[in-house]
Amino acid sequence: MAKAFKYGLKGITGFLEPAERELLRSLIDDVISMLQPAEHTSQDPLAALIGLDMDVQEPTDRAVKRLLPNVMKNDDGASLEFRQLTERSLRETKIGALRAAALDLDRDEVVLTAEGARFWSMALNDVRLVLAERLDIRDEEDAEHVHLMQDWSQAEDVESYLALVYNFTTWLQESLVQAMLQSLDSRA
Amino acid sequence: MTLSVALGPDTQEGTRTGTEASTDSLTAPDIPWNLVIWNDPVNLMSYVSYVFQSYFGYSESKANKLMMEVHKKGRSIVAHGSKEQVERHAVAMHGFGLWATVEKATGGNGGNSKNAGKSGGSGQGKGKRG
Repeated sequence: MAKAFKYGLKGITGFLEPAERELLRSLIDDVISMLQPAEHTSQDPLAALIGLDMDVQEPTDRAVKRLLPNVMKNDDGASLEFRQLTERSLRETKIGALRAAALDLDRDEVVLTAEGARFWSMALNDVRLVLAERLDIRDEEDAEHVHLMQDWSQAEDVESYLALVYNFTTWLQESLVQAMLQSLDSRA
Repeated sequence: MTLSVALGPDTQEGTRTGTEASTDSLTAPDIPWNLVIWNDPVNLMSYVSYVFQSYFGYSESKANKLMMEVHKKGRSIVAHGSKEQVERHAVAMHGFGLWATVEKATGGNGGNSKNAGKSGGSGQGKGKRG
């Protein structure tokens, strides 16, 4: 069983079993592949270099849209314009955090610097956002319903398996964030 | 937002003080855009508070107050500033996975805007990589 993250002399440490690391690695890979920007053959190389993407559209996949939301609530045009300027670099930021977390999965014991912990918290959050879309978690009631699923022996279908995975990543992120808050406290 | 699952309610003591933005004297007419954070059922309450503390440099109590406002009222204005400033904050919030939008500040925002932090102070610099 994984051990909760804790904050101590070595920084933020946690422990994951090989199967748990494998699971996290595949979840992270899934999110990375969702975030890889589409390659446009017509892409202006200079625009690409500075992060512009004039061909970008609002994502159609709900999970991708949750990861890359519109910046304005009631102005799709302005949101799209902003997306053209910023989405590519936002995708890269997220992929960077996910890759950094995946690299830390090579050993049972996870030892994180403050920056590493931030990457992990961002990566786990994005993984949970995607799982939540797949589980159709729309409100707090749905979230509570999913949270009731705690027994791996009950995992009989894809949905209950996903719910258990979601609850595991939730638990892991919560323990990580508590350790990060402690490290903020000790620096204050 | 979701309450902590395995560890129960946050039991941290309020030891983080004095990190508040020191630009609270800015007056409203200079700062016409708001950064809004919206509630969602996935983001952990502890994580949202962590993001507010680490990115904006808000005290634990201020971060928790804004987080609870998001949780209970569905949204909260957590910073304001020029359009460029709040847009930069919004991208950082999206990097963290928070659901953020920007909007033009209107005069009649009532109590909500009282809680809003001012951007441009300690919020800058800290979160550039967010």
